[in-house]
Amino acid sequence: MTHSRFNAGRRRFLSSAAAAGAMTLGSPLVLRAQNSELNITGWGGKWGEVFEATVGPMFEKEYNCKIVRDTSFPFVPKLQASSRRNPIYDVVHSNQNAQAAAVVMGLVEEKLDPTNIPNMAELYDYATSDTINGVCMFTSAIGMGYRKDLVKEVPTSWTDLWKEEYADKRGAYVIPINSLGQAFLTMAASIYGSGAKDLDAAYEALEKLKPIKLVDFTGAMEKMILSGEVELCVIHDSGVLRYYDTPNEAAFCAPKEGVLALEQVLNITPGTQKRELAEAYINFMLSPEIQKTMAEAVWYSPANKNVVLSDVYQERLLTTPEKVAQLKQVDWMWYNANKDAIDMRVNRIFRA
Amino acid sequence: MTPGRLAYIALNAAILIFILAPIAIIFVFAVNPVPYIDFPPSGFTWDWFVQFFTSDIFMRSLWLSLRVAAIVTLLAVFFGATASLAIARGNLPGARTITAFVLSPLMLPAILTGLALFQAYMFLDIGRPLWGLVMGHVLVTTPYVVRTTLAVLHNFDTRLEEAATNLGAGPVRVYFEVTLPLIKPGVIAGGIFAFIVSFDQFPVSLFLIGPGNETLPITLFNYLKFEMDGRIAAASVVSILISLVVVIGIDRTVGLRSYGKM
Repeated sequence: MTHSRFNAGRRRFLSSAAAAGAMTLGSPLVLRAQNSELNITGWGGKWGEVFEATVGPMFEKEYNCKIVRDTSFPFVPKLQASSRRNPIYDVVHSNQNAQAAAVVMGLVEEKLDPTNIPNMAELYDYATSDTINGVCMFTSAIGMGYRKDLVKEVPTSWTDLWKEEYADKRGAYVIPINSLGQAFLTMAASIYGSGAKDLDAAYEALEKLKPIKLVDFTGAMEKMILSGEVELCVIHDSGVLRYYDTPNEAAFCAPKEGVLALEQVLNITPGTQKRELAEAYINFMLSPEIQKTMAEAVWYSPANKNVVLSDVYQERLLTTPEKVAQLKQVDWMWYNANKDAIDMRVNRIFRA
Repeated sequence: MTPGRLAYIALNAAILIFILAPIAIIFVFAVNPVPYIDFPPSGFTWDWFVQFFTSDIFMRSLWLSLRVAAIVTLLAVFFGATASLAIARGNLPGARTITAFVLSPLMLPAILTGLALFQAYMFLDIGRPLWGLVMGHVLVTTPYVVRTTLAVLHNFDTRLEEAATNLGAGPVRVYFEVTLPLIKPGVIAGGIFAFIVSFDQFPVSLFLIGPGNETLPITLFNYLKFEMDGRIAAASVVSILISLVVVIGIDRTVGLRSYGKM
């Protein structure tokens, strides 16, 4: 009896241990993620609302963890002030210009390992190009917005912005504080100079844009074009397309010289204690299902080339290799290294 | 009416318009159906207010801001009033230096105070708890209470306390029945400042709020970066009205006029 009881106990023990072992091998990530908190940064606004209502809870359920999402800028100084070995964030979501600045300070990884993030293999090339630190999950196209009822001709080129008829009726961003304005400066350099880094040509072109209305917040330009305060302006496609359901006279134009990429980038902090969960989160955000959900919520172009959006989005966003080929990416490492000098010069141009 | 009097009235009217015009624009924006500032308004709607009051994120932030401001006011009043009494009556060596030290948060850019506190919290591995935010607000609001209470104490007739003591009142009774009622207007005025400064606090909160603990000004800023519709204006109107209600409420209940007369 004793022997038999011992055998039964041993069998139960062995079978339990085997089951536990199989679970560990079968889903190591899930086990390690249990009861973890993943500290991330993120956007507010509509993005935040959709994320909190659907995407965040889905990830938390799937990985049995809690997402702690900081939506209050500025992220880089906070990361800088926190411990490198136990950083305040595990995953940083920001535009590429901020990622480039963080890489220089050693606050985020320069590149991510695609073997741990399988969905990285499904992305358009721009999402993992040399100019990206981490991985780009969405992009907007920076082009021109115009008022259908106020312009004489539909704009087709960036040079239309310099036309005399738009004096004081054109709009752009305050370059020192807005990355759309900074990207636009490189486009001006490309068009009027020898390339995106021809700063003298950019300064000369900016001088000729005066008089112009400048705004600081990205969202402010949407209101300027909707209200008719400007007739033609630099703007990202999402800023116009999001009013698709609202009767209005604003339209977006992708200039023939190309559109600038406004990338939404995810990256991991080198000191994170939850690397596997962080990688799982990035992989999740790059999955077709989540890409479709967020793209259709906020009109961002998905980086995953397998995503098929509903017709209205599919037609208007960068969803084919041909459309994606229009994208021009800014070398933010170069830009940030020259930012102080650029800011000083640009401030002088627009101060008068 | 003399030309001088006319110019005086015109100047005052111009100043009033300058102060009130932005508030008027916010009101117009908040009830205008279009999602941008448009004048004259293209219609009238309460929709932005409905959207504001039915938004979980905005309501959570509003409620948190009110709670934080209430706690901060109590703490700032306690610390500010006691510090003022100690400075004015305690015969402390270096009282002027202590006063300058207590008031110094008013002289520093608040964003630096916020960043410095954030770095200190990170260094001490405290993280960003709610009480850390409250303490940050107390730091920048206490000087207002100290300033207004010290102003009252400057004109305080100490013979009244001496008379109460001579008539047999103990120090506690003298404090609660003589000193406190006399310095009350200064303390209340400082408390109102503390409430409003905390409720509207942005630069210090920017660094000290933790995820999920966003106060209303931070939520508005985050929202404003990506959206700029009438919900922002509705939130601003509500914020202005709350500040106004607090001031009027305190004036009606405990009285501010007495401080104004001093």
